[in-house]
Amino acid sequence: MLMEDLSEGGCLVVSLREKRLDAVIAASFREAMVARIDQGHRNIVLDLSQVNFMDSSGLGSVVYVLKHLGHTGRLHICGVTPGVMAVLKLTRMDRVLKTFDSRQAAIAA
Amino acid sequence: MNSHQPLYLVVPATLLDARLATERIVALCDRFDTEDRADYATAVMEWLVNVVKHSYGHASGAQIRICAIAGPEAIELTIEDSGQGMAPWKFDAAPSELNFDATDISKLPESGMGLVIIKSVMDSVRYHRDRGINRLTAVRRWQR
Repeated sequence: MLMEDLSEGGCLVVSLREKRLDAVIAASFREAMVARIDQGHRNIVLDLSQVNFMDSSGLGSVVYVLKHLGHTGRLHICGVTPGVMAVLKLTRMDRVLKTFDSRQAAIAA
Repeated sequence: MNSHQPLYLVVPATLLDARLATERIVALCDRFDTEDRADYATAVMEWLVNVVKHSYGHASGAQIRICAIAGPEAIELTIEDSGQGMAPWKFDAAPSELNFDATDISKLPESGMGLVIIKSVMDSVRYHRDRGINRLTAVRRWQR
């Protein structure tokens, strides 16, 4: 699983360099994100612009990350493709996860 | 509008093969728009992953049998496995819509969303067990 980190505007921007966030990589994605949070990163922007498919396992890992951050951190998501938005809407998680049209908007929010 | 031959697959019950099988099935779905195709792909993957994880428990050597028929009005999908399956009543009892308190992060669901997605996406879906075979049959129309 390929992920790329960048510090920008007080945020850790994590870009997932995979086409799919699904059951195949969900556990390793979750562990990698939790490691970053446990290192002290509290403001995270997750860039999913290269992800064109997400299933409920992938979504569950994102929700886990959100919970792990708790109320003292923030998770903003950008680069949401139609394939990712599909599962957000099907599960109504689009009401919970904060998505932004651009990376800059996600950082600035 | 393209026509497709029925797709018959027998695939190893692994997560990676579930992913590949989903892609093969969705390749039949050129009559869906982008959004419907994404929904359908998600639903198919959900059931295949369910079979790998829960019916077979990641057992090595296990197989999944798939038949997908793209007809003039709809796509019909049948997925069979010979794992432990789930009680049909449990499948029937699963809701077709996820309800949760969006303001309480601590109680957001992290799992259990697969059946909801399948029931939400498919126009009709039936699951039953017969003589050691678990069979899901799902139909989704091209146009709703």
